[in-house]
Amino acid sequence: MREERIIRGVMASGGVAIGRAIRSFDPLLISYNFHISQTATEKEVARFRASVEKSRRQLERMQSELRESSIPESSFLVDAHLLILQDKLFVDRIIETIEEESVNAEWAIQQVSSELYEAYDRLQDDYLRERRGDLEDIVRRMLHNLSSKSSSVPRLTHDAILVGKTISPSTLFELRAGRVAGLVTETGSPLSHTAIVARSLGLPAVMGIHDLSCISSGDLLIVNGTRGQVICNPAPSTLREYRQGMKEQPRSLRRSAATVPATTEDGIRISLGANINFSEEARAAVSNGTEFIGLYRTEFDFFKEGQKPAEEELTAQYAQVLRTIGPSTVTFRTIDVGSDWKSRDGTGSSLASRGLRFSLEHQDLFKLQLRALFKASRKGRMQILLPFVSTIDDLDAALEIIAGVKRDLGRQKISYDREVPIGVMIETPAAAQTCDLMASRVEFFCLGTNDLIQYYLVIDRADQSVAHLYSPFHPAILRCLHQVYTLLQYSGRPVTVCGEMAADPAAAAVLLGLGFTSLSVSLTAYPRMKETISSLNVGKLRELAGEIMKMDSPKHVEDRVRSTIA
Amino acid sequence: MTEREVVVGHRLGIHARAAARVVQLSSQYESSIFLSRTDHGKKVEADARSILSILLLAAAHGSALTVRADGADEKAAIDCICEYLKG
Repeated sequence: MREERIIRGVMASGGVAIGRAIRSFDPLLISYNFHISQTATEKEVARFRASVEKSRRQLERMQSELRESSIPESSFLVDAHLLILQDKLFVDRIIETIEEESVNAEWAIQQVSSELYEAYDRLQDDYLRERRGDLEDIVRRMLHNLSSKSSSVPRLTHDAILVGKTISPSTLFELRAGRVAGLVTETGSPLSHTAIVARSLGLPAVMGIHDLSCISSGDLLIVNGTRGQVICNPAPSTLREYRQGMKEQPRSLRRSAATVPATTEDGIRISLGANINFSEEARAAVSNGTEFIGLYRTEFDFFKEGQKPAEEELTAQYAQVLRTIGPSTVTFRTIDVGSDWKSRDGTGSSLASRGLRFSLEHQDLFKLQLRALFKASRKGRMQILLPFVSTIDDLDAALEIIAGVKRDLGRQKISYDREVPIGVMIETPAAAQTCDLMASRVEFFCLGTNDLIQYYLVIDRADQSVAHLYSPFHPAILRCLHQVYTLLQYSGRPVTVCGEMAADPAAAAVLLGLGFTSLSVSLTAYPRMKETISSLNVGKLRELAGEIMKMDSPKHVEDRVRSTIA
Repeated sequence: MTEREVVVGHRLGIHARAAARVVQLSSQYESSIFLSRTDHGKKVEADARSILSILLLAAAHGSALTVRADGADEKAAIDCICEYLKG
C-alpha cells in the first residue's frame, strides 16, 4: 500500500471529488515530413479537407449541446474554434503548403501552425498570447482526426479524475456526460478557460501542480478543489472522513431539507450563509437552499481577464449575482489580492498588498470596484465588506473614498442605494482587539477565522513545518473569539463567522457555544452544516464553552468538544 | 474602395469575442474588408474574415485602425464594422 500524499496546487474550481486517476496525455503532436508525388497532392488536400469537415461536425455538435445545457455562455469558446476552421489564413495556407511543397497534410498543418504560434508568442498582450491555446486545441483535434477513424473520447469509468499537464476546455465539453468527477493539471490558473468551464460544469479542479509524475493512472485521488489540494492514495481514515462529507454533497441534499432554515435541536435559529468565489456559483447556491451569501470573494472575477476590468461589465455581473440570490443579502468583499493566488506566482508579497492595504495603494481599482458595486446596488440587497483591516486610519481612509464615490455618483445623477451597509472583516489581531472602536464607523462585521488564527498563532499554513500548529481550539483563539463576541454585543453590530472554522462541526459547536448565531460556509460544506446545526443544543454548548475556556491545551479542548457532540 | 479611420472602443481591445464578432459581421458582406494598424512605423494588416489575423493585429483599447472595404456593398460594410469597433 502506498503512502498517503498531499499535493498542493491552486484552487480552480471548488468542491470535492473522489475517484481513480486517468492520466491524459497530451499527444506529442509529432508529425513526419513525407514528400508526396505531385499527382497525389489532390488526394492529400481531400484528406485534409475531410479532417476539417470532421472537426467542424464535432465542434458543431458540442456547440449545440452547450447551447441547450446549463452553460450556454461557454459556447463562445467553441465559436472561436469554428471560426479558426474557416479561417483562410489557416486553412488556405495549409492547402497551399500541401500543393506547393508536395507534403503530407500533417506536416503542412504543423508548418502553418508553428508560424502562427511564433506570431502569437511575439504579442505583448498577455490575454492575446494565451489565445495560442485555442489554436493548439484545434490543431490537436485536426491531427487526431487525420490519424484515426474512431473517436478520441475514451470510455471513462465512473468517477474518473482526469490528470494531465494541460486539459483543454474542449476535452471537458466532450467528457461532460457525467463521467468525469474532477480534474488535476500542471498548468492553468483560476483565470484559464478550462477553470471557468470546470466551474460552470461543477467539476472540482486543482491546477498549478508542479509535478504530476507521482500520480499514475488508477491511483485513488481525492481532489479538494476548495482547498486547492489533491490527496493521492489516501489512508482509509482520510477516505472515510471525505466519504462522510461527500454523502451530503450539495446535489444529494433533499429539497425539503434545502428549504428549511437552520435551527438547532433546542430551537435556536442560526443564520447559515454560503461563501462563493465566482459569480457563476450564485446559481448553485440558490439550488442548494442557501439563505444568503455571507462572503463573495470578488477578486477572482475582478481579475478574470488578467487586467483591469470594465465598470459596466462588473456592474452587470454584480447585478446578476444580486438578482440570482435576491431577496436575500449578498456580502461583497472588496478585492483582496496578494493572499493566495497572486503570491503563488511570485508577483505579490503576502502582507504589503493584502486587502484594504492594496485597495488604498491602488485607489483607481478600489474606486472602480466601488462604483460598479453601487451602480448594481439597487438590484438586490447588498452589503460591502472591507478585508484585512488593521488600523482605524485605514478604515477611515476607505470610508472617505466610499463617501467620495457616492458623491460622484450623486453628481452624475446615477441612482444607487444610499443605505448599502459597510462592514469590516475581522481577520487581523489588531481588528479583533479594536472592533469596538470600528463599530461606531461601520454597520456589520465578518470574522475571517482562517487568517485570524494564522496571525494569532504565528504560523503559515503553507509552511509544512508549522502547519500542524494551526488549531481553532487553541485557548488564545477561544479567548479572542469570546472577546470579539462580547465587544460586538455591546456595540449591537451583527457578526457572521466566515472562515473554515464555521464548516468544521466541532469548531462550529464552539462558535455557537460562545454565542455566535450567524455562520457562512463553503457551498460544499453547506448541506452538512445545516444537518450538524440541527443536532446541536445551544444550551449544552454554552455550558461546554464555559468549561473549555478554563482548559489549557488545544488538544484537550478539541477532544472535549468532539466527544460532547459525537 | 472606401477607407475610414476608427478608434477601438472595446475595453479589452479586439479580443476573442470581439474578433469573432468582426468575422461574423464581415461575412455578411460581399466586399473584401481589411483592418490595418501602424505599429512603430510598420503597417500591420488583417483580413476581417480571418479570426487569427485579427487577433494577431493585437489592437488594444484606444488604438487607431483603418478599415478598408472594396466591393459592391463597401459603404454599408464600413459603416457596420466601424460602428462595432467603436464599442
